[in-house]
Amino acid sequence: MRPKTDVPLPEEPRELRSELMVLNVGPQHPSTHGVLRVVVTIAGEEIIDLEPHIGYLHSGFEKTMENRSYTQNFTYTPRMDYVHSFAHDMAYALAVEKLLGARVPERAETLRIILNELSRIASHLLFVASGLLDLGAMTPFFYAFREREAILDLFEWVTGQRFHHNYVRVGGLKEDVPEEFVPELKKFLSGFLAKVDDYQGMFDGSPIFVSRARDIGVIPPDVAINLGLTGGSLRASGVDYDVRKAHPYGGYEKYEFDVPLGTRGDTYDRMVIRLEEMRQSHRIIEQAVERLEPGPIRDADPHYSLPPREMLGSSMEALIYHFKLVTEGFHPPLGEAYVPTESARGELSYYVVSDGGSMPYRVKIRTPEFVNIQSLKYAAKGHQFADFIAILATLDPVLGGIDR
Amino acid sequence: MALLDKAKEYASERGYGIEEVHGLVWIDVPREDLESFFTEMQAAGFNYLANVIGIDYAEYPESRPQRFAVLFEMVAMKGWRDGDGSRFFARVWVPEKDPQLPSATPLYSGAGFLEREVYDLLGIRFEGHPDLRKILTPEDLEGHPLRKDYPLGETPTIFRDGRYIDPEQFRASIAGKDAGLTGRKGGARRGYEAYFEDVRRAAVKDGEDV
Repeated sequence: MRPKTDVPLPEEPRELRSELMVLNVGPQHPSTHGVLRVVVTIAGEEIIDLEPHIGYLHSGFEKTMENRSYTQNFTYTPRMDYVHSFAHDMAYALAVEKLLGARVPERAETLRIILNELSRIASHLLFVASGLLDLGAMTPFFYAFREREAILDLFEWVTGQRFHHNYVRVGGLKEDVPEEFVPELKKFLSGFLAKVDDYQGMFDGSPIFVSRARDIGVIPPDVAINLGLTGGSLRASGVDYDVRKAHPYGGYEKYEFDVPLGTRGDTYDRMVIRLEEMRQSHRIIEQAVERLEPGPIRDADPHYSLPPREMLGSSMEALIYHFKLVTEGFHPPLGEAYVPTESARGELSYYVVSDGGSMPYRVKIRTPEFVNIQSLKYAAKGHQFADFIAILATLDPVLGGIDR
Repeated sequence: MALLDKAKEYASERGYGIEEVHGLVWIDVPREDLESFFTEMQAAGFNYLANVIGIDYAEYPESRPQRFAVLFEMVAMKGWRDGDGSRFFARVWVPEKDPQLPSATPLYSGAGFLEREVYDLLGIRFEGHPDLRKILTPEDLEGHPLRKDYPLGETPTIFRDGRYIDPEQFRASIAGKDAGLTGRKGGARRGYEAYFEDVRRAAVKDGEDV
């Protein structure tokens, strides 16, 4: 068929019609950091309304944990927030230790803090890298991943795993770190601050970044608290709330560090505050390395701690305890316990209910990103669609943690 | 901890139960008083609702007043205005027959997702919630998985439209012994092949050529 070339123009110019458009973002979308689906209503480029839909990664961890022993559950805890997974291990262990009344030895406590802060740095590096990538800056991604890889290599060396460490145990740690760990860690720490300055130099003050991020997605402090926002995103709004300072846990009260605060609560502040938090984490690790002294790494109470391997050959009781702990697990007394902690994304807590059995009766996990994602609606309304991607990135969602 | 004392005083004046273990505080608030309790506590300075926890005590060894408990974790956020870091759990006992209680969303908007999660996983309704829908489980999944009578494992997952996953057939299909992966409720469990055959037969009956 011949193409029509003689289509007449309409005699009167048509009226320009404008209507709202409903746009589906995700669940498979590179900028949603996982499988988040957001239904956005836009008028032209402006966002009128949006609604996050979650649950695509729901794995029923809470139900599964009710049917596994307390020690087996350490397999599940890091799989929720796979970016800052050490925080989950620690939060769960602290809650169970509170139930048992276990005492964590000094060395284990210090090592936990070192590894937790290393994991936090790795998480923030990913945040900065992918957040800037969403804004179109590709170079910082490669540099940030260089340091992130170094941290993950350290973790692989110490725990055997890059992400799902399974290294924390109730009452301490699984095993001691390798002998050369501290020198290697010091080597990493010595060059790290200069590299953070490098990252900051890459985007801070750049006119493109400032115009994309300043006064975009502002969340005022009152609104942020009411929405339950926690973590760096809340501190960017100027609220001085860090669980490590407000409700010290796991030995954080012994360390000196500052809580960086933002002033405006916009995308810019949320991005820059994470860099400062990395410097503070670095400071904590440096103090912790100084404190590190040889000693036991696990509470020696045989009711919940495995006896030393060499005792199994000579002591009947040790063998019995070992057998009971491995086959059945330990039995915390009836009760409910809970410890709020600070993950890289905000307030993380495990509420553990024990019925006296070897498996928890109920575990409720409050992941910060699950609550934080509600702020997206407030922050993105009235902004352009491209800003929505930046706002989403700076709220730092990890979908494994949201859906659990 | 001045604010916590204030909350405890308010509770004891009205005869609410107070429990303290491991340095944690639970205040038992009757269902009817919950709305006024929230209003009062927010005015007193508990500005942050950290967590909403639903627990099913159906199989708990100790006797409990009701089957379900919903815990609201109220915090006076330290680092903002007069917040002193006081935190406690407002516990509401919810009966099995009538599982509903007032929502905290009018005062604490952060409760929105947390309450939807409790509704989805335990089937407790929050009256006054603006958007009480399922949040984590698939839309067509029946039941509330965190209830203690919800089975784990070897049970067919049944969806509202009649589709189900039979664990035995599912494992067999992975081992390559049977084609069946999912089926239809009511029909013989013959797997996909038989199901497609039924569809084909039905289509021919309707006069369509498949």
